[in-house]
Amino acid sequence: MAGKNPIYIWINEERYDQLEKAGLAHHTEERLAGLKVMVVYADDEQAKRFVNEFGAKHDTSTTGSIELLPAHIKNKIYDKVVEKQSLDVVGDVLAEV
Amino acid sequence: MAEIGHGGKEIKERILQPAEAKEKIKGLQEIPIRKQLANEVIDLAYGFFSPLEGFMTKADVDAVVKNMTLADGTIWPIPILFDLSSDEVSKYGVEPGKSVVLTYQGNPMAIFEVEEVFEYDKKAMAKSVFGTDEEKHPGCKRTYGYKDKFVGGKITLVKEPTINEPFGPYFLPPLKLRQVIKEKGWSRTVAHQTRNVPHTGHEWLMKGAFFQAYADLPIEKPEVGVVVNAIIGEKRVKDYIDEAIILCQDELEKAGYFGPHNHITTLTFWDMRYAGPKEAIFHAILRTNLGITHHMYGRDHAGVGDYYGAYEAHHLLDNVRDKLDITPVYSMNWLYCPVCAEITSEGLCNHQDKQQKFSGTLIRSIVTDGVKPPRLIIRPEVFDQIMACSEKYGQGSPFVTEEYLEKRTPVFDIEPL
Repeated sequence: MAGKNPIYIWINEERYDQLEKAGLAHHTEERLAGLKVMVVYADDEQAKRFVNEFGAKHDTSTTGSIELLPAHIKNKIYDKVVEKQSLDVVGDVLAEV
Repeated sequence: MAEIGHGGKEIKERILQPAEAKEKIKGLQEIPIRKQLANEVIDLAYGFFSPLEGFMTKADVDAVVKNMTLADGTIWPIPILFDLSSDEVSKYGVEPGKSVVLTYQGNPMAIFEVEEVFEYDKKAMAKSVFGTDEEKHPGCKRTYGYKDKFVGGKITLVKEPTINEPFGPYFLPPLKLRQVIKEKGWSRTVAHQTRNVPHTGHEWLMKGAFFQAYADLPIEKPEVGVVVNAIIGEKRVKDYIDEAIILCQDELEKAGYFGPHNHITTLTFWDMRYAGPKEAIFHAILRTNLGITHHMYGRDHAGVGDYYGAYEAHHLLDNVRDKLDITPVYSMNWLYCPVCAEITSEGLCNHQDKQQKFSGTLIRSIVTDGVKPPRLIIRPEVFDQIMACSEKYGQGSPFVTEEYLEKRTPVFDIEPL
């Protein structure tokens, strides 16, 4: 993958339970006061599409993360992770939206 | 009793009663103005900018640029300008000694008694105020965007603004807020400058400043109030929407994290200039006029990018302390420490390798996902309010979008006289 650009998917208790049932809870890590995050990665081309087509911001100066993606896109990424039981879902999501 | 504002001058509202206003504007040339100028007309007329009674003349601008004062020596860091193009000056017949009517939304708003029409070197102005003349600095960009002529003169409101829902209760101009502070019995007040919805890092900035301001006062009855003064002005895509800022700040009080005995939410109309240290001085003046005794300053106050050092504003404030009538309260950052299991100050906690710092980007990411965070990060009531504002005012987003800019209800209207 050319370039690893993180997308943070925040995980509350309800989502954590779902991930646990799907055997994916180990993909989460604690980030802030117990709030968990799951990180999926976009390559540089995918990052560009998120910025150009969905108004996201690429935080190139600090974390390199893709921020301010619309909630429906992030929800779709989360749903796809659960469906595919894999973190490699960004291509599928972009193909569907 | 006279209410004394910045520079030791009495704060006087410059507002005409409707009957007198109708009479006085008869036959005067009308000039339509944009939102920024309408905001500043309100600030001038209600005394937010006291001792200024109108837009600056060249002598004042020159003193601001060269000495950070008005022409009479009163400290003042940012020019307050009314700009017109040469064509507009001719078209509207703007000349010294003539009065014109400023209109907003097609309706008369204020009488402008023209004292002077002048030009000024915008680059010199930008360099002095912002410490840079780079076009990419938003304050410089705004300065270079001004038209080629400036007009100085006094302003008198002929029609008070109608403040639209939900902002009405939060518009408390200087004389009104001073009255409210007296009624609450606060002998000290501390200003919290904001353009954010509050997470617990912000909440603790306010609580820390509350204790700093309390100091040696008796504790038998509430003596100190935190005055949240939200800056409501030009919005950019991806800022928090104004409604969420003001209602979420107030939610901290409504949900009991503060109370009416120690907290109030208010607003000021102003387009941020991002002048860092100079804007810190400007905020001190603004809040002095609001009757506030102390002012919180954190890292990189009103800065942008890496134009200013983290504590440059503090240093400038210290240099002019004797010329200001407000006490700066310097705030360290608050953060979450999993060992302390609480929100704590970087000046207190020694678990440096465990500390989890608040980052605006991180918080915005959480808010975007609509995933309710732990109450130690964002209070649940505040989070619910963000989501409610998103639905009610933001077309489904708590952040400014093009659609919001197009469809939002204005914060205020000027109705027909």
